[in-house]
Amino acid sequence: MDPLGIVAYGLLFPGLVFLIGYALFFEFVDRKLAARFQSRVGPPLLQPFADLVKLLSKEDVDTEGSDATAIRAILILAFAAVATAFLYVPVLGPSPLAFQGDLVVVLYLFTLPTILLFLLGWLSRNVFGTIGGTRALTQLFIYEVPLFLVLLGPAIAAQSWSLSGIAEAQRASGWAVVAQPIGFLVALIGLQAKLERAPFDLPEADTELVAGPWTELTGRKLAMMRLTMDLALVVGSGLVAALFLGGPSVPWVVEPAWLAAAAGFAAFLGKTLGILVVLATIRSAMGRIRMDQLDAFGWTVLTGAGILQIGLVLVLGGGGGG
Amino acid sequence: MRGGAVLRELLASLWKGPATVRYPAERVPVPTGFRGRIAIRDDACIGCSKCALVCPTECIDMVPSEREVPVKGRTIVRKKKPEVHLFACIRCGLCEEYCPTDPKAIYLTEAFAGAGPDKEVVVR
Amino acid sequence: MAEIVVPIGPQHPALKEPVNFRVIADGETIVRLELDISYNHRGIEKAAETRDFVHAVPLLERICGICSHSHTTAFVQGIEEAMRVRVPPRARYIRTAVAELERLHSHLLWLGVAAHEIGFNTLFMWTWRDREVVQDLLEAISGNRVNYGVNEVGGVRVDVPERVVARAMKDLSFLGRRIERYGTLVREEPTTLVRFRGVGRLTPDAALALGTVGPTARASGVPYDVRKDDPYAAYDDIPFRVVTQTAGDVFARTLVRIGEMAESVGIVRRSLLDLPGGPLKVTSPRVAPRAEILSRYEAPRGELVHFIRTNNTDKVERLDVRTPTLANWTSVVSSLRGHPLADLPVVVAAIDPCLSCTSRIAIARPDGTGTTSMTWDELRDHGKRYYRATEGL
Repeated sequence: MDPLGIVAYGLLFPGLVFLIGYALFFEFVDRKLAARFQSRVGPPLLQPFADLVKLLSKEDVDTEGSDATAIRAILILAFAAVATAFLYVPVLGPSPLAFQGDLVVVLYLFTLPTILLFLLGWLSRNVFGTIGGTRALTQLFIYEVPLFLVLLGPAIAAQSWSLSGIAEAQRASGWAVVAQPIGFLVALIGLQAKLERAPFDLPEADTELVAGPWTELTGRKLAMMRLTMDLALVVGSGLVAALFLGGPSVPWVVEPAWLAAAAGFAAFLGKTLGILVVLATIRSAMGRIRMDQLDAFGWTVLTGAGILQIGLVLVLGGGGGG
Repeated sequence: MRGGAVLRELLASLWKGPATVRYPAERVPVPTGFRGRIAIRDDACIGCSKCALVCPTECIDMVPSEREVPVKGRTIVRKKKPEVHLFACIRCGLCEEYCPTDPKAIYLTEAFAGAGPDKEVVVR
Repeated sequence: MAEIVVPIGPQHPALKEPVNFRVIADGETIVRLELDISYNHRGIEKAAETRDFVHAVPLLERICGICSHSHTTAFVQGIEEAMRVRVPPRARYIRTAVAELERLHSHLLWLGVAAHEIGFNTLFMWTWRDREVVQDLLEAISGNRVNYGVNEVGGVRVDVPERVVARAMKDLSFLGRRIERYGTLVREEPTTLVRFRGVGRLTPDAALALGTVGPTARASGVPYDVRKDDPYAAYDDIPFRVVTQTAGDVFARTLVRIGEMAESVGIVRRSLLDLPGGPLKVTSPRVAPRAEILSRYEAPRGELVHFIRTNNTDKVERLDVRTPTLANWTSVVSSLRGHPLADLPVVVAAIDPCLSCTSRIAIARPDGTGTTSMTWDELRDHGKRYYRATEGL
């Protein structure tokens, strides 16, 4: 792809502009669905956008004694990390920037926001932020192992370390979720924990810690962090869709090329929205668990399931591409 | 997750739609006997001041106001009538209960909506 | 981690009303709590001394929005006893119906708040949606959703006509079904189970020693219910069950409250269907003879006590309101030691705290040197010395 094309891909579609727009739409669907589950009306379509604009216009308070520059830098870094990760997620077809190993890069970039959230809490000089940030890190250690394990399953099955390659391989071998259902379930639970949504919203537990590491974020800073988390929801869904549901591919061959890309895009939208519906349902259906309970659940059930799944993949060859 | 009771509830709520009353597009049903905004029937008040005396928040002032009022077939001239500080009224209905006239000279309507910028608004 | 002070309150998303817990935590484990419950003090007991009985009732109704009927009923019952006035049966039945409807709406509110404290906002929305049915029924009976204004000395101010009874029967059937559904839900939903079971356990001995009342005590197996032990209104005519559990943890208290809701539906149904005819009130004297009355009432949160001293005037000489929440606070402070911070909102919510009812005055020392607390015996000695000096007792 020529440089101008890559810039357009990265900045416009399906890059940054599309990503932000789609993330705001995701927030709308999430909130609307949760509201309807609760017998409420829910926000109108443009509410997340309106909230973003409103937050940008609010007073931005720097708490006394905190390192304002560092906090701002952290926020920009978190946003950049998640947005960059999206470059490697296949949206129309294979990503033009794909390379062997981009799966590892995406997983690494996806871990950054959690660590940065901890730093935010620590730097905010607020006891709630400190406790919340510590919880975020502790939670990271617990779910990261099983999550990474099962995300590697489709990679082993497809014999590829490129996200786009894994998605492409499933055209021939069928969706990985059929061969690795346990992995898919663990991936969804791990994604919910990564995004710190109920039942894993311990770092932000509002009835326990006010807002955890988010407590001292206001105005533009809060807008930036919320947007980052919205982006993470899209990236995470796109990641799981690519790894387990075949990404932007439809089970039959489509001609001509532009129609294939459109069909792939529609498939991407449908699959990510489907994952969002599942995540939103989980969020509405459960309360918040405690750290020691997460510890028990994570290390026994989740990690156990993850190891089992990987074991099956290695022994049986994963049922796809191997 | 045994039973799936939560999931059934979630789907039932989704199916039934929101429980919200989209006021003012949809109307809120107001039951008979709702204690709403206070009102005064000027042509029935005999100026006995019972309402002002019984009011727990002392939000009723008796102001001079001469008027001929029919009471049980006769006509009397009353000397004062009540004025209510609307935003101090707690709508307890004690004034209506103790008012001796029929129809009641001071009573609570079923009006429930209203807002204003002036805290000192008075109902006459 | 060293010991840190986590300021839970006076403003905090876990708290519905201002209260201050200075939590000293070691990492995430609570070492101790310092409790300050003075934020909602409004001087109502003193204000009641300057109002005659007609004016005092609306004042006392506004001690609390959730248990407003409890306060007025406890008060007028006490005054009626001082005046030796017998309230007509229809009034007693109406008082009972409204009291149990108040218990219903309060427990539904509590279930939602408890769910909110563990982040389960969906259950919060559902219970409060169904609570609207109770509120609308109370509005149909009394004219207002909160602060019903049903009581006055000598009887009740509102009647319940036939069409309201018919509406109530439909609403009660709906509520009965919903309450059963919530009973199933809390027994099945996994996060509710793990967050409530085994948390804040109170043994029966501790419950008695700390003076807990209401569902908090009944969940520890202490079968104390003023409606059975010292019946008032129409409770000796209407059969019902006192709901107890044995585990003493938050889950047990949840089950007790859900069970009480089911019983309340039955009591309201019985009291409205068996509503006796007759007058709504008797004329009572303006003045209450000299007397000291201890009026007890089973509020949704437990035993509510109004101590009333009358002195042959139309006002009370002294009114002391001992609310159930005040009795239950010590159990929170002692049962939270050693628990993780995450359990604090759950255990606090489990006693169903009502700060507006509870608030006691805190005295600020001019030199501002820290807080002290008295032990139970020190407090009793202080009280004896005080009343000996001021009232020559």
